[in-house]
Amino acid sequence: MSTNRWLATGNFFTSYKEEQRIYRTHLDRSIFIVFLAVLFIWPLFFPVKNSTMLVIDNVMIAMIAVLGLNIVTGFAGLISIGHAAFVGIGAYAVGTAVTLLGKNHELIVYGWPVMILLGGMAGAAFGALVGLPALRLKHLYLAIATLSFQIIFEWVIMLMSFFDQGQTIAVGRVYWFGGKVLRQQHYTFWYYAILVFLILCGFMVRNLLRTRHGRCLIAVRDNDRAADAMGMHPGFTKVYAFIVAGLLAGIAGALKAYLDRGVGIESYTLHTSIEYLAMAIVGGLGTLNGSLWGPAAIQMLDLRVEELAELSGHYLPAELNLATALRPLTFGLVIVLFLMFEPRGIANWWRMFRSYTKLWPFRY
Amino acid sequence: MKLSQKLLLNAFLVSSLGLVTACDNKEEAAPASTSSSSAAAQVYGLAFSGAMTGPTSDAGLPYSRGIGDYCSYVNDNALLGDDKVDCEIKDDGYKTDVTKRNFEGYLEKGIVAYFNYSTGSTLALKEDFEENKMPVIPASMHADNTKGSKYIFLPIASYSEQALGLAEYVSKHHKGGGTPKIAMFIHPSAFGRGPVNDVKRAIEKGLNVEFIEVVEHGKGLDNTAMLKRLQSKGVQYVISQTVQSPVASMLKDAKRLDLTASSFGEAGKLTFLGAHYTGGDDLIALAGDAAEKFLWVTSFRLASEKSEGSDFIKSLGQKYGRDVKTQESHNYTSGVLVAQIAVEAMVRAKAHGKAVTSATVTEELNGMNGSNAYFANTTVGPVTFDVNDRSGVDTLQLYKATNGTFFSENEPFESEFYKQLK
Repeated sequence: MSTNRWLATGNFFTSYKEEQRIYRTHLDRSIFIVFLAVLFIWPLFFPVKNSTMLVIDNVMIAMIAVLGLNIVTGFAGLISIGHAAFVGIGAYAVGTAVTLLGKNHELIVYGWPVMILLGGMAGAAFGALVGLPALRLKHLYLAIATLSFQIIFEWVIMLMSFFDQGQTIAVGRVYWFGGKVLRQQHYTFWYYAILVFLILCGFMVRNLLRTRHGRCLIAVRDNDRAADAMGMHPGFTKVYAFIVAGLLAGIAGALKAYLDRGVGIESYTLHTSIEYLAMAIVGGLGTLNGSLWGPAAIQMLDLRVEELAELSGHYLPAELNLATALRPLTFGLVIVLFLMFEPRGIANWWRMFRSYTKLWPFRY
Repeated sequence: MKLSQKLLLNAFLVSSLGLVTACDNKEEAAPASTSSSSAAAQVYGLAFSGAMTGPTSDAGLPYSRGIGDYCSYVNDNALLGDDKVDCEIKDDGYKTDVTKRNFEGYLEKGIVAYFNYSTGSTLALKEDFEENKMPVIPASMHADNTKGSKYIFLPIASYSEQALGLAEYVSKHHKGGGTPKIAMFIHPSAFGRGPVNDVKRAIEKGLNVEFIEVVEHGKGLDNTAMLKRLQSKGVQYVISQTVQSPVASMLKDAKRLDLTASSFGEAGKLTFLGAHYTGGDDLIALAGDAAEKFLWVTSFRLASEKSEGSDFIKSLGQKYGRDVKTQESHNYTSGVLVAQIAVEAMVRAKAHGKAVTSATVTEELNGMNGSNAYFANTTVGPVTFDVNDRSGVDTLQLYKATNGTFFSENEPFESEFYKQLK
């Protein structure tokens, strides 16, 4: 143990517990608290447009979803191409309640935190179900199994009249202590609500990784036979990885249902699953902060490419339809470039930045 | 209490404070629906969000150009006097999330009317349109768009009305004995499924056709099995409610299998008919000579037939530098029409001495009926709206593909059964 917990210098550990600390120094903790405070306070001082807040809200929802994907793919090494379906399960849990009870039922509009947790639980339940093939399947075969889940999910929603065949199921406006959350406050209100869930989910994952179960995930990813020999249960570990991923995805889905005030299949298709995977790769697979960097980076890139595609659409011949190709092309290119040149994702840049600032002003 | 627990507790407290502050329930002043550049001349915002890239962009791009060009025409020819329209056009790539973002952005700019595109996004944003009391004219003619809405105005007859019109045409012109047997070939979405139940309801009410099957097409390029099945079930007429590409695949397969009727209702063969988004020049470009004799219904005048409307569209396209393909596209005409309707409502609001706002535009749109119906030269009938009926042009025109061009077949008509179903 260092003599001064505010400094990184001379910081050493005398127990495993100390090494597993979330914050290495008091300075780290203080900076994080200030950062959190800023996240909560800035909308009060710098009001932003609804359209901007909508983007921010969607980025944060994607962060929660990618946290889940990182558990299953990044930490446990199980490729999931059906993550949007888990997010969709959470959203359609809200949609189901709306269909059964009505969009303005007390449970929907007053009990929304409960509904969000129920969405998470529905995601977890389906995660357990989809995780079962992971007991016998690996690598490409498991990827195909999750892809099947995605396709089945889409078809079920598109064909069942109960789910309005994928058309939007409207969700009522929620209430909070101040009364009904009206249109003017909607996006700011959900900013705070999503932020709270994001922080809770982030701490949950961070703490999970400090536990025996968290270390099991990594051990099973690196070598499941060796993990088995060390007394771990690879099968159980894989299934609970899917359960946790489903839980987080379900929470993200329920939040999206409330944010959009509706549930429709378009937001939970295979394309969205690929986007989540891209976010995890670009952010940094197997890193907690990568789950936050990835969605932000991809969404920002998406916005810029969208503008470029629109602009080029005005000038390029319609027959070529190059503008349409621009988005998937850029998207694919970014993923390939990251895989080639920075497979550890943006999280690695963050790690290098932190290493540098920790030593500053010294070079070594 | 451990420090981490304290931290969580603090985060909760701060977030609760933030939530309460965010929900103080004070309605902020709604954005002004009219912005002014000076005391005399006003600038009115119109906006479109649609698929200029991605799925259906072959229709969305000329559609958006139609809107943009007509707005330029309004300003260049001072149709609103000293006032101008500021027409903002954004691509949403056929993604509802992006449409929602675009719409929120437009609201902040204080638009007076909004043009939406797809069925999915129109249904998804319906609540937003209602809450903002924003008049919306979508490219989607899905009948359910107007259900539970006071602000969505379909420019022409709904898909249901179009499909029923085609079924009625089959019923009236079927030759040979027995009840004509029909099948519907539809897009696997709300857009495609919309008219199916209405056709079935019309049959229950006495429409003399027998409904054999609904085929929801996938993305496959071979329709052999489907066409053979329809033939074996005795189907003579296939009514399509989808977009051009699957129809083109079906027509090419039918030609290859020698299943296409050489005359309307030929026994043992299939006669193909389709609603607004199944036909046009794009179908002929995709299907080639397999599209011959395809019967297509819409409410628009086409460039292939000389009329005041087609001349206007051609001159508009030429004036703003559009290529011939765009000028002759019915999607370009569709875009022009929605802008025409919105501008006409603005002109009328001004003529009645009202400020041009989303509320007065809605009011004027609802008043477009009877002697106040709007005769847009781009359509085969007048645009009529009222508070109970927000489908614009009820008149339909059947077109037949002949030598690679669509030409009128018979006189314009209206669906009789659709009126009964309302």
